[in-house]
Formats: sequence, C-alpha cells, structure tokens
Amino acid sequence: MTKKRDRRSVLQGGLGALAATTMGSSVLGSEGPGGGHSDEHGHEHPHHAPANRYLEPRRTPQENEALAERVEALENLLVEKGLVTRETLNAIVETYENDLGPMNGARVVARAWVDPEYRTRLLEDATPAITEVGYGGSQGELMVVVENTPEVHNVVVCTLCSCYPWPVLGLPPRWYKSYAYRSRVVIDPRGVLAEFGLELDESLEVRVWDSSAEVRYLVLPERPAGTAGLDEEQLAVLVTRDAMIGVSRVEAPAP
Amino acid sequence: MSGRLKREADAAVADMKGTGTLPRKSGELVFHHDWERRAFALSVALSEQGLYEWEEFRQQLIATIGAAEGSSEDPDLEAPGYFEHWLASLECVLAGKALLPSPFLDKEQSPPRSA
Repeated sequence: MTKKRDRRSVLQGGLGALAATTMGSSVLGSEGPGGGHSDEHGHEHPHHAPANRYLEPRRTPQENEALAERVEALENLLVEKGLVTRETLNAIVETYENDLGPMNGARVVARAWVDPEYRTRLLEDATPAITEVGYGGSQGELMVVVENTPEVHNVVVCTLCSCYPWPVLGLPPRWYKSYAYRSRVVIDPRGVLAEFGLELDESLEVRVWDSSAEVRYLVLPERPAGTAGLDEEQLAVLVTRDAMIGVSRVEAPAP
Repeated sequence: MSGRLKREADAAVADMKGTGTLPRKSGELVFHHDWERRAFALSVALSEQGLYEWEEFRQQLIATIGAAEGSSEDPDLEAPGYFEHWLASLECVLAGKALLPSPFLDKEQSPPRSA
C-alpha cells in the first residue's frame, strides 16, 4: 500500500513541472478555445445553464455575509447543545468533498464476478445493468464496462478534462485530473502504469479508453486467484477505485 | 489521513435525484462559500445523529425549492441559491423538532413545511 502511494507521489511530483510549463493547455478542459470543448459541459450542466454560470457571484457580499452569520449562529447553537462537534462537521465536509468511496462500482464488479449472466448483461449494456444493482445518479451519460482478461488490460482516462463515472466510482482522485496523467497515459500507458506499481507483461494488449461527456468507462478487473471461497460482499471489499480505473489489479486478501 | 476512522459518504445524501440533486461539476460537489459547506455538514451530521431521517430533510428541501421556483420543472440547482434553500430547509426541520428558538426563524421567511 505504502509502496504504491510512494510511486504515485513520484508520478505527481514528476508531473508538477510538466503541468507548470503547459499551464495554457491544462485549463483546456474547462475553457478550451475550440468549439468542441463546450460540448463537454453538457453533463455538468443538465439544466442548460451557460457553462460558467455557476461561478458567477450572484449574491451580494452583504447577502453572503448575512447567510454566513446565519449558519454560524446555527452551528454555534447546535454545538452548544452538544448535538454536533466541529470535528464531525469538518470530517463530513472532507468526506463528501474529497473522498467519496468507490463502493458502488465495487459492488457492480463483485456481482459480475459471481453471476455470469449479470456479467454478460453488464458488458453488453452497462447502464441498465448498473442501475440493476441499485445505482444510477448519472446525468444521462452512457456507461460502458470494459473487461480485463489475461490478454487485455484496460485503463481509463479523460484526455479532455476529467470525465469520470462518479455515480459508481465517487469522486475522481487528484492524479486522474492531472494534465500529466491525462496526456501521458495515452502516449505511454505501460510507463504510467509502471509508475503506479503495475508492471504489465509485454504480451498483454493495453487499451486506453478516453471518457467523454457522453460515455464513461469502468474497468471490470480480473477476479484475483484464491478468492473462490468469498461471497459477493466479501469480494466487493477487495475491489479498489484504482482497479476500476485500470491502474492497478485487485489483490487477493492476505491469508 | 491522521489515522482517524474513515468515514463513508451516505449514498442517500450523495446521490439524491430530481429536485434537490446536489450541485456538481464533473461529479464534484460545488460549494461557493464556506457557509455552504457548513450548512451541508450540519444537515448530514444531525441526520447521522438520528435527529431526523435523511428522507425527511430531503422532502423539506424539495418542498422549499419547489415553493421558490414556482412551477419551474427545471430549477437551476447549479446557481447560488441552492444552499439558501438548503439552509432554510434545515432550519425548518429543526424548528419542527423544537430544536430552534423561535426568534431564529422569525428573521427569515419560513418555507412551507413539506407534507
């Protein structure tokens, strides 16, 4: 675990310089000069709002100040009553803002491992198959599940910005949005995956899937050996976000 | 990551559908100001504490937004304004449980109670 994390930070660190020298390009995702890029906002603004409308300060500073005071008074009151602690509030913000778990996707993967018919449905038409397990929450984009096999390894990226199947994977990790990952994984997938600690045999075909506003990809990782005795729930625990992006394998539990 | 017990987001909160859907951009929650984060966290924390079911808060939020947006079927949830509805809903739910002193609500126009 720590080993992988170290390697990841190497990836991020190495890329800092690259990203810095290409600042102009790195904002492409949000403010691209080409007409094509405006389309990618479709999924982010299902209510047909102009692309940047959400950034407009529509509240006056006075209104904002009044609202802030109102929340502060409420928070103080509830803390005084012992109903909440500020530590809890901070932890909640952190969880929902940065750290949504990839559990939905993990359950989809585990179901596919134990139920061959479900696996077939999932690979043929992922959107309804995912809903079947109880998770939708999408904004109309199509879900496509790509399967890792002994011959093929799949990895997902969004070269344009950071399109990501968040209903099943939660929030994208920081590196997923980095210009470095987005640009390099296409040119040198094996090299990038090696930096994540995933060494792929030369015989393996590597496929890189570029997500868009319309299509979001999810990798169905290979079920690890030695897990025959585990049920769906126990398997789901093993499935990591990184494995469903395709930058790592699912490991069998330590014996 | 200070070794604190890892929290998990509740899908009932994170994946609300329809009216009341959390404002997101590329999947990430959109907060414009820190008070929005605080209001969000307060609502989740009090529900976790068992003061109300999340569904109760959600229904109030839907009622509040519905009243504010009139007959609009397409409320602009990305816009600042969403968390005003959120805050009003929280105050309303808490007032319903006699957890707020009445002066708290008198300052603001009370939203309609959800059915």
